[in-house]
Amino acid sequence: MLQQIENVLQSLEAGLVVGAVYGLMCAGLGLIFGVMRVINFAQGDFMMLGMYAAYYLMAALGLQVLLGDAAPFMAAIAAGPLLLVVGYVVHWLLISRVSGTRVLTLEGEGHSAQLILTLGIALILQNGGRVLFGASPVSIQTTLSSEAWEIGPLYGDDISIFVNQARGVSAVVAVLVAGALYLFVTRSRVGKSLRAAADNVQAAIYMGIDVDRSHRLAFSLGIGITAIAGGLLATGYAFTPYVGLDYVIVMYAGVVLGGLGSVFGAFWGGMTIGLIQQISSLFLPTQLQNTAIFAVFLLVVFLRPQGMFGRVSERT
Amino acid sequence: MLEIEELEVSYGGLPALRGVSLRAAEGAFVAIVGPNGAGKTTLFKTISGTVSPRAGRIRFDGRDLLAIRPAARPHLGIAHVPEGRQVFPSLTVRENLEMGAIPATGRRDWQTNLARVEAWFPILAERRSQLAGTLSGGQQQMLAIGRGMMSSPRLLMLDEPSMGLAPAIADFIFSRLVEIHHETALTILLVEQRVAEALRHADYGYVLETGRVVLEGTHEVLRGNDRIRQAYLGM
Amino acid sequence: MMSYVAPADAPSVEDIFPPEAAWRSLMPILAVLLCWGAAAFAITNSYYLLLMTMVPVWAAFGLSWNLFSGYSGLISFGHAAFFGLGAYFVTLAFIVFGLTPWLGIPIAGLLGAVAALLIGLPTFRLRGHYFALAMLAYPLALLSIFEWLGYEEVTLPMKREAGATWMQFADYHVYVFLALALLGGAMLLTRAVERSRLGLALVAIRQNEPAAEAAGIDTLRRKLQALSLSGGLAALTGGFYAVILLVVTPDSVFGMLVSAQALTLAMFGGVGSVWGPIIGAVILIPLSELLQAKLGAVIPGIQGVVYGLAIVAVILLAREGLFWRVKDLLRRPAAQAMPLAPAATPPPAPPPRSEATDAMPLLEVTGPLLEVTGLSRAFGGLHAVQDVSFSVRSGEILGVIGPNGAGKTTLFNLLNGFVRPDAGAVLLRGQNILGQQPNRICRAGIGRTFQVVRPFARMTVADNVRAGAHVHGASEAEARALARAALVRTGIAGQARMLASQLTNLQLRQMELARALAGSPDLLLLDEPLAGLGAGEIEVLIDVVRRIAADGVTIVIIEHTLHAMVRLVDRFIVLDHGTVLATGSPTEVTQNPAVIEAYLGKAWAEHA
Repeated sequence: MLQQIENVLQSLEAGLVVGAVYGLMCAGLGLIFGVMRVINFAQGDFMMLGMYAAYYLMAALGLQVLLGDAAPFMAAIAAGPLLLVVGYVVHWLLISRVSGTRVLTLEGEGHSAQLILTLGIALILQNGGRVLFGASPVSIQTTLSSEAWEIGPLYGDDISIFVNQARGVSAVVAVLVAGALYLFVTRSRVGKSLRAAADNVQAAIYMGIDVDRSHRLAFSLGIGITAIAGGLLATGYAFTPYVGLDYVIVMYAGVVLGGLGSVFGAFWGGMTIGLIQQISSLFLPTQLQNTAIFAVFLLVVFLRPQGMFGRVSERT
Repeated sequence: MLEIEELEVSYGGLPALRGVSLRAAEGAFVAIVGPNGAGKTTLFKTISGTVSPRAGRIRFDGRDLLAIRPAARPHLGIAHVPEGRQVFPSLTVRENLEMGAIPATGRRDWQTNLARVEAWFPILAERRSQLAGTLSGGQQQMLAIGRGMMSSPRLLMLDEPSMGLAPAIADFIFSRLVEIHHETALTILLVEQRVAEALRHADYGYVLETGRVVLEGTHEVLRGNDRIRQAYLGM
Repeated sequence: MMSYVAPADAPSVEDIFPPEAAWRSLMPILAVLLCWGAAAFAITNSYYLLLMTMVPVWAAFGLSWNLFSGYSGLISFGHAAFFGLGAYFVTLAFIVFGLTPWLGIPIAGLLGAVAALLIGLPTFRLRGHYFALAMLAYPLALLSIFEWLGYEEVTLPMKREAGATWMQFADYHVYVFLALALLGGAMLLTRAVERSRLGLALVAIRQNEPAAEAAGIDTLRRKLQALSLSGGLAALTGGFYAVILLVVTPDSVFGMLVSAQALTLAMFGGVGSVWGPIIGAVILIPLSELLQAKLGAVIPGIQGVVYGLAIVAVILLAREGLFWRVKDLLRRPAAQAMPLAPAATPPPAPPPRSEATDAMPLLEVTGPLLEVTGLSRAFGGLHAVQDVSFSVRSGEILGVIGPNGAGKTTLFNLLNGFVRPDAGAVLLRGQNILGQQPNRICRAGIGRTFQVVRPFARMTVADNVRAGAHVHGASEAEARALARAALVRTGIAGQARMLASQLTNLQLRQMELARALAGSPDLLLLDEPLAGLGAGEIEVLIDVVRRIAADGVTIVIIEHTLHAMVRLVDRFIVLDHGTVLATGSPTEVTQNPAVIEAYLGKAWAEHA
């Protein structure tokens, strides 16, 4: 009995810790979807680039020597601005051709082009990654990965929860970055203008907001944020250039759960996905963890399309 | 200040404006009236740049407005209060006003503008942290007008501010518009379906019908003309 | 209902729908298959023969995707679900039950069709983004389920002694021919669907789903039919794929790349045509295979990069795919399709509406055609339509007017079932039609047009109108006769064979009227049919509307051009703030002080 309680608590802990990183991942995608209403299938692959960016930053610059235990997390954060630039260029060269005010009048026609374009980008990134980085799994080694904090004993001497230090620190960094993003979107003038452009493109233009520029900013920022999440994830898991595939559906599940379009909701959606994944491992074989996510995802889509954390805000 | 010549616009082949010419002098209050579907909203959208004309010229302060990107036009001092209000529903009332103050003039005059707008529409101060999407129709219209005034515009374009509002609220909004026009040196372009209210306060009026200006003149001239009645009621 | 008799000099059904010899479109299909087969004979290298098998297989898979997504416009990212189910069924049935693929593959097809129904039924409740995302989840969920079941790599056992019974051949040429047979079947199926009522319905759905629904098309049923045909074909193809490759893994049949493959081939070649996916497969499959073979060892992953680049290039350069791009280029010199008649045949002058017909004393006894009582609908806090009651008499033209935002279009949406009311009743000939699907209401006899005309641009005018004629489950011949009658009545029979994209505004409005009329409605709801027309054009359209009314169709019309309306309608109802402000004859209504005030303002009313 006690053993079971400990298992449940332990998977709750694991869920929260991994959920924080998923939440950050989803927040990046949620920002893009919220502002642009574009489904970006390549989001997982941009995240993969973030993982490799962090990996090579660690390896090439010898950060480990300079920063010690903090190095992997600094590398993850540094991957953000790097991928932000990549996102900026990709939006400028490709995405802007099929989105933004240009297709404002196209109604349904534009969005299948967007879906398929990002699918093409995803294929290029995955397989280009294979060409560049090889197919063998790598991971970012850190001494913290093999150490744990013990919380407890909680109930007499019987129940203790162990928090893997690398994952714990990743979760904290993820929450901090998500918090910074939240402050940016809700408090800064630029952040508010992003939300205004998301609410009503036409009215935003009447305010003098350059909507196409807002889209570029949202896209690059969203890519950068997800890349940081990727870098943080890379401290505990081995990955290959095809890792994005596994996460794109996790991310969309999170974003839909959070109510398509809300950055804040997307974070909690991602957190929920992390919890579902870890808790389902108590009674489901590992291969079916993803299936559990899909099942929850489909249920939410059918029963509550506005998302669990979404709010139906009326459009007049 | 604003000169429009021979403007022609069509949507996917359907002509919406067929050679519209119109002028508004500095500080004037110009009303554009006409039945539904006459092209009034299209005219405003063309001035703001969300619709591109097929032919014609628009000059604002002597500059060719059509050569300027839509998002840059508000920075010249043009504020557009669109049809159906179009407030940002997921932003608070105060944040909506901030969005109106994005041009440099708006940032410079933030404090004075805010005080002015909240004096005209006290409800906006009261509801400052409420989400705009949860306001009533009349409150949203006040917010939309307030938002337009936050950039210290020189030209204010109002598209059917009375649409869908109860008569008493429409009357209140009209009286505020008159007050705003008196207090500021603002040029106002008002699109309205309800002719009488619009013309009563306007210095000059244009009557649009199926994409053409069929009549123009001062309040007195237009009121006496049966053509308006015909345009609206057909007989 | 078919009381209308066309004048003798009007174009005949054959003029409007020229009979086309079936062999003319079958020839190219046959020719391509034969050439491909002949070419295979010249090749002995087993690698190239495999390649020559894979191209038709992937083309068939592309066609299966195209059959659903290409025609309906609903993007599916989940076709790997059907493909994989087919592949696993054939393989496992072979191993477990000793079922030969000759039987296994057809059964797999049925299985795919059933799976498509099971997936489609809930998923079609979703729209746009949600639909695409949900479809993505199915194959990925199946992938992990098959991994969990332990089918990570399943091999078909070799049966050398009786190869032919087990679809195992030493001579690779046989596989090429089987693949070609599969492809030929897929092409014929696509061609048949394209020419059927289902095809027409799908194109209508792609262009404008609500309008299709309003035209009497049961959109859910049509989408399910298309998805099950498509899923069946995909599963069939997947089953055959397993037989060729002999090894099935979850990734190779359920993976995202598989879904992407179908979509890429069809998009690259051109969606919504028999040839698109084939063009895509013929170009992309050999290209990527050769790259893989020549460079795969040096640069692994190059295949995927090429695919990605192909998708990106197509989206940026030829969004509708190569087929349409080339077709447009070829058509341009001969763009001027010959109209049947030199000018629009002007409809004969309508009979004058006498005072006697206006009164309609007879019909007063039989009761109104449409009776609306207490209809209300609010959106959020806004009362769009509030306690509206009125009746429409059989044979009259009723005008609905009112200021912007008065609730006129919402009223139409309530009447034809797009919007469900909060309260009230709508009786058509005494039968309550409230809460029914729009396509049911259309079949019950209410047709409608829309403010914005959305023609099916790549179809002829005649086919556009034919799409509206299938409402009553009429036979093809009957539908053509109805379409022809509608074209003649609206005065655009002369343009019947032109493409809809070549019409003028007036002709588009006439075509829209014809489309609604082809469904033989008793009651026609016209939403701003005069929008965007010039003065002379308005006269032409008003004559058309009068003629339709004179033939016994009751008309309710929303329009802002009041000077035209007062001459057209028998009666007005005036809406303001969602309520009925006034009803009466044009003279009564335009002199009603409340109406003048609503339109022109209080001050004007006092002045006048």
